[in-house]
Amino acid sequence: MGWFHELASSLGALIARRRQEAELRDEIRFHIDMETDRNMKRGLSEADARRVAMREFGGVERHKDDVRDERGAGALFDAWSDIRFATRALLRRPGFTAAATITLALGIGATTALFGVMKRVLLAPLPYRQPESIVEVWSAWKGFDQTWLSYDEWEGWKARVPAFADIGLFSDAAVTFDGDSPERVRSAAMHANILPILGVTPELGRNFTAEEDRPNGARVVMLGNGIWQRRFGGDRSIIGRHIQISGQASTVVGVLPSEFRLPTDFGGGERIEAYFPLATDAAAQGATPGPEFPKGGASHGFYAVARLAPGATAATANAQLRALVAELERFGYMANVGFHAFTIPVEEQITGRVRPVLLIVFGAVVFVLLIACANVAGLLLVRGESRRREMAVRIALGAGPRRLTRLLIAESAVLAAFGGTCGIGLAVLGVRLVRANAPITLPRVAETSLDWTVMLFAVVTSLGAALLAGILPAWQASELAPAGELKEGGRGTTTSRARLRWRQTLVAAEIALAVVLVTAAGLMIRSVRNLLDIDAGFKADGVLTMRLSTPSTWYPDSVRVVAFWNEVQRRVAAIPGVKHVGAVRLLPLATEMGDWGLQVDGYTPPMNQGTPGDWQIVTPGYFETMGIAARQGRVLDARDDMAAPLSMVVNRTFVERYFIGREPIGGRVRIGGSDSLSVYTVVGVVDDVRHNALTTEVKPAFYATVAQFARAPGNTRRSMSLVVKTDGDPASLVAPVRAAIKSLDSRLPISEIRTMKDIVNGSIAGPRFAMQALGVFGVLALVLSAIGIFGIVSQVVASRSHEFGVRAALGATPRELVMLSLRTGIRQAVAGLAAGIVIALLLTRLMTQMLQGVTPTDPLTFASVIIVTAAVTIAASIGPARRAGNTDPARVLSSA
Amino acid sequence: MDALASQRAEVLRGTLEMLALTLLSDGPMHGWGISVRLREMSRDVFDVNQGSLYPALQAMLRRGWIKAQWGPSENNRRARFYSITREGRAQLESEISEWQRSSAAVNRVLRLAFQGG
Repeated sequence: MGWFHELASSLGALIARRRQEAELRDEIRFHIDMETDRNMKRGLSEADARRVAMREFGGVERHKDDVRDERGAGALFDAWSDIRFATRALLRRPGFTAAATITLALGIGATTALFGVMKRVLLAPLPYRQPESIVEVWSAWKGFDQTWLSYDEWEGWKARVPAFADIGLFSDAAVTFDGDSPERVRSAAMHANILPILGVTPELGRNFTAEEDRPNGARVVMLGNGIWQRRFGGDRSIIGRHIQISGQASTVVGVLPSEFRLPTDFGGGERIEAYFPLATDAAAQGATPGPEFPKGGASHGFYAVARLAPGATAATANAQLRALVAELERFGYMANVGFHAFTIPVEEQITGRVRPVLLIVFGAVVFVLLIACANVAGLLLVRGESRRREMAVRIALGAGPRRLTRLLIAESAVLAAFGGTCGIGLAVLGVRLVRANAPITLPRVAETSLDWTVMLFAVVTSLGAALLAGILPAWQASELAPAGELKEGGRGTTTSRARLRWRQTLVAAEIALAVVLVTAAGLMIRSVRNLLDIDAGFKADGVLTMRLSTPSTWYPDSVRVVAFWNEVQRRVAAIPGVKHVGAVRLLPLATEMGDWGLQVDGYTPPMNQGTPGDWQIVTPGYFETMGIAARQGRVLDARDDMAAPLSMVVNRTFVERYFIGREPIGGRVRIGGSDSLSVYTVVGVVDDVRHNALTTEVKPAFYATVAQFARAPGNTRRSMSLVVKTDGDPASLVAPVRAAIKSLDSRLPISEIRTMKDIVNGSIAGPRFAMQALGVFGVLALVLSAIGIFGIVSQVVASRSHEFGVRAALGATPRELVMLSLRTGIRQAVAGLAAGIVIALLLTRLMTQMLQGVTPTDPLTFASVIIVTAAVTIAASIGPARRAGNTDPARVLSSA
Repeated sequence: MDALASQRAEVLRGTLEMLALTLLSDGPMHGWGISVRLREMSRDVFDVNQGSLYPALQAMLRRGWIKAQWGPSENNRRARFYSITREGRAQLESEISEWQRSSAAVNRVLRLAFQGG
């Protein structure tokens, strides 16, 4: 029953506080009166009797406080009155309060925004059932660290890897929703077992049936939630309806939940919105693992996702795959290219690459918060200095040390509330900033919002900051000896010096933290510069790109496709400001490219190795538009039309690999197998273009025109990216280029409108994001530390003005006085710098995998950090130090 | 504030509560009454601030060991009378037996020590 009384007591305290206070007062008055009577009966005068009674009772107010504490909820009321008192006290000092609030708001805001991002990107559960037992399956061999599966591999793994409960394939493409306003969207083709593997059921309708997932099955589609809402108004009767997609009638069988994404669809770009059956042909392609597996491995073009069997882990699956691959290699499957297959847990796949970036940035933001707390603690210490008399009077009047501490904690709590409120405001802006600048590789970052957990985080952070910033000043205040304080008349000695030491320590710690941040930022700046210094092989300046596709419904043959591109280019070229125009199958740094098996006359590949070449299909004008220079021979142009002899341009790596010591111009290259009739003649060599990423190895590549490639090997490119070069702002061309395309064929959807510069930046978005974030936080840290140094030097100069006056009177020059006070700031800076460098040396190692062309202990970066920090320290100290130099001995001494 | 005094008050708090409970087990008393009786009984051994009694009483009220009621005092003034509850009596009994057990143990140890020395 104890809890009941406790509760009743607390409730009583809450409800009947006024009455309880009156009762307490009456009860104590009764006691004193009775005691006074008793003392008078012993013969004391009334005045003496009362004094003795009071003395023996002890401090009335203190005991009252203790009684209130025992009521239970009393602490709440005390906190409330403390808070009201603290708020009033803070509002009386707007300058101090504003400084502390802004400092805290910066720290809390940045931390909260970053936490919001982290939560969405790293912590939000994936929209799958038991995602921990879902893995993505990959193949890899020389030159391909992580690439698609072939059909045969899928069948093999499905049959022979017991760790997989089930494994399915999917691939992605793009389709057009036809109609008055055609819409180009990303699409996927997937096995019917993909949804069961992921543990997802459609929100409406059903998944594909096994019959539909077969060659020549019914043409059915599942819609993404987005396009269902957007294009069909969320109409539930959509199920069973036939809609025109890329010129074909498709039956809608299902609508997927809004949070659904395929495991490869977590980037920030456009989402997949139409899902078709993959309908692989077992009869045509199937082979069980063994001698009948094609030696060359056939086409690798599928993503694979598997659900692990109960009890199996990614590691067991990997081990079983290793054993199976070893067995296949004995039959000669993909031999001598280091072929292997492996799984990656889907969670790691989706967040693994960004996790270190985000954690490092979050670490940086926590540093900023700590610096902010240290700064506010410093401010509170200074304020404590000027309030020592007030505190001494309070103690003398009977406020216990606990009471005093509470009051000071209340003050920092109120500050934290101010700071937290403004901080949440800043976090809203911060999240907007991150959403606008974050790399699209950050999964789901666009969905970042400040929900209640993030708010809770902000509140907890604010409280933590209040405690962190308030505890030291409060403890310092409780050390106060009232008698000495009051006797002396407020000229503090020992405590004041202890406080100064604390402030100095705080400032040194701030500088140390700032040094770490600035070092990290410096390393990232160097990395990003190194990345941008990599010659991508093309010139991105002034290039606008957009994706266009020519569906077979309206462009049934390649003649019409080629004619379309010729006419588009003619009309776009006529737009004022356009210098060059061309088109290409895949834009560099925007996509990954697979290869085509070749035969190069005069080159024999090593045993069991092919002669792969990345295939890039272009229209005349592409090379000029992208500034890809010919090193030998010529680039492809209008001459290379459908009727002309088949001509190709190859990159330098192609020459180095397949024309070792031979003249490439005039060399003959066959596309496809030995029976292929697609024999091209090399007419030119161009610089290597970094296609898959700035930092990956360049592979042999060839270029052919869309016209000739349609003739041999007979592959008509339906989807191409238009590239337009201008000397001005490429964005200004968007409207006229669109108009030109519309004037030619208004039915064609235009998508992925971007500048080439954006694409290049996007490809290094991770490092750039880290650089920007660390840069911002590094500068913030430096500014906060500078404020700290400024404050401490000011305080020293002010507290030693008397001494300076004496020194000046004894003949010290202003210069000497300035140096003297400068030294006080520099000592902290040196200590902080030294500590910071040591911490940085230890911590920057964590960044190794984010760095490019620079070591975590890069001497240049560290040297720059030392110079920058030293400069900031001196700049922050110089102002207050000058004041020391201006000390007028006469005034100081006479006022003393 | 005298740090030593506050420490002693902390130590004595439990004892103070027990003594007050003992007094109240004979009948309702007001705070001052308890204070006077404590001083008489212990012959001023318990030299604590009289004011310390009130937080102790409040704590026992909160735990439900005693209850309080306003009523006329011996000189007809309004006073707050405390009386022990059933829970208070149970608490007192368990404290007394606990006390007896531990003091018996201490006695044994002391006796052994003196015999040995």
